[in-house]
Amino acid sequence: MTRTIWSRIALAVILIWTLLPIYWFLKISLLTPDEIARFPPPLYPLEPQPAAYFNIFGFDYELSNGITRRASGQANQIIRGLQNSVIVSIIVTVLTLAVVAPLAYVFARLDFAHKNKLLFAILLAVALPPVSTLIPFYSMYVQLGLNGTILGLVIVTLTITIPFVTWMLIGYFRNLPQVERLARIDGFSRMGTFVYVMLPMSRSGLAVAAVIAFLFAWNEYTYALILVNGTTANTLPTAISGFLFQHPEPQHMAAALALTILPPALVAFLLQRHIGEMNLVEPVR
Amino acid sequence: MHKAGAADLTHLMAFSPSARTNELSNFSFALILALPVLVFLLLVVAYPLGYALWMSTHEISFFGGYKAEYVGLEHFADIWDSKKFWKSVRVTASFTAQSVILAMVMGLVLALILNRPMRFAGLVRTLVILPWCVSLYGTGIMFSQLAKGQTGLGTAIAAALGGTDAVNFVNRDWVIQVLAIGNAWNMTPLVAFFLLANLKTIPTRLYDLAAIDRMSPLETFFNVTLPPLRFTLFVFTCITTVLSMKLFDFIFVLSGGGPGTTSAVLTYQIYKESFKDLDLGYGAAMSFYLLAMILGSTLLLYFIWGRREASNE
Repeated sequence: MTRTIWSRIALAVILIWTLLPIYWFLKISLLTPDEIARFPPPLYPLEPQPAAYFNIFGFDYELSNGITRRASGQANQIIRGLQNSVIVSIIVTVLTLAVVAPLAYVFARLDFAHKNKLLFAILLAVALPPVSTLIPFYSMYVQLGLNGTILGLVIVTLTITIPFVTWMLIGYFRNLPQVERLARIDGFSRMGTFVYVMLPMSRSGLAVAAVIAFLFAWNEYTYALILVNGTTANTLPTAISGFLFQHPEPQHMAAALALTILPPALVAFLLQRHIGEMNLVEPVR
Repeated sequence: MHKAGAADLTHLMAFSPSARTNELSNFSFALILALPVLVFLLLVVAYPLGYALWMSTHEISFFGGYKAEYVGLEHFADIWDSKKFWKSVRVTASFTAQSVILAMVMGLVLALILNRPMRFAGLVRTLVILPWCVSLYGTGIMFSQLAKGQTGLGTAIAAALGGTDAVNFVNRDWVIQVLAIGNAWNMTPLVAFFLLANLKTIPTRLYDLAAIDRMSPLETFFNVTLPPLRFTLFVFTCITTVLSMKLFDFIFVLSGGGPGTTSAVLTYQIYKESFKDLDLGYGAAMSFYLLAMILGSTLLLYFIWGRREASNE
């Protein structure tokens, strides 16, 4: 009896820890301007209304009392940011998977010269702080004309996703059963073994890898802030930061933020049971 | 039947020594699959790093035309003597230590709770992973709403208890803690889910044996649950340390290094030197100190902890 009470309390604690910050900003997105200006801040929306979610897409919204909440001036930025974010994230996810699956497989299953040194280089790339490569990238991009372009953002985002996802998949491939010899006996070439045997076997691992790559690309802000902010290639994060410093309408910012959480939350929901199959520990063992 | 036999035979014949030389060796196969990526990584990681190294030994000025003058290691020496730099190092260390400890403890607690049989386990898992889907700038916005006086939870609770003042946690005394909590909140699901995967591999038989030995829950935890987790704990301590030290956008959004310079971590200081003060050489040199700090602390963790765990396995 006491055990179930304690486990319920424990469950309550972790749910509060997890959900309170999310609840707090979702609440703000549903507030009316009067409620936002109110002091002390209300614990919950007294008259919840979805005006902000319409406003950020450029629609006016009429409240039940006849007052119209005007569309946000940032709507164009948000819509374009959303488009760009989707494009960049999908391209990055596809490229990352295409590139990383063979790379991780090679590191996980084959022995070759200088393997450990190369592996260390990949881990070093994970440890590199974005602030220290920002300026070099910036000046490189100015010379190549890649500033403010989607291509530039894709390239720079790949430098984040490739090392991390490679590292993740190495551990995953190592834990798969050793079927290469069997496949070879059945007449598969090395490449054939990889393409027709290993890749289908590692579907769930590749799916999680895709989610991770998507998440990194979708949430990338530091590079976007310097490289594409204020251009036609701006992404959703930079569009939101427009709210941050210019136009104090917290409910719009909160609604836009909810928009950014939705896609990754959906994929995470679909794939949460596979995340445990990944292994970040194996490669460094 | 006969045909199949013939096919087998030709197959066998194809596997003659001369055909075998067409087979790729490990190294060349690895090269074909890995080389394009490695070249790409070299270009996009080594080049910026080399460029940063070049900048760090130059005094770069924009006023009166772009000029780069070689100054050797002067920037590195200046930074070493700078009080602001050492303050940033202390802030970074304090923020990192608090973030990592909180993320590891909460990650372990979450994993242990998720590992117990319960109703709606899938739903709980989905909810618990949510913070990880939130971007770091998003976490910054959320925690600034939560902690600042005008919109904050502290004010709301204080008011409910009869207080009249705004309770602002983004102040000199608490800003580091607010940052650490937000950062830990974002990293915890990652830690928890990998620890959970590890917990699932512990045979239930061991828990039965522990029950026969009449171990208390605490003894069971230290003797059965913890030992197989230790190496994973070490690896994730390293990962969270690296992530916390290189963190920028979250702090930029939440506190902007303030109030004053109370939360000016090294990444923020580098950003400020490079983009606000436009002292590119100085900023680049400082980023190498940061890189050294990141690598140094991971190595330190390895030598005082990881080496022992690796040999215990």
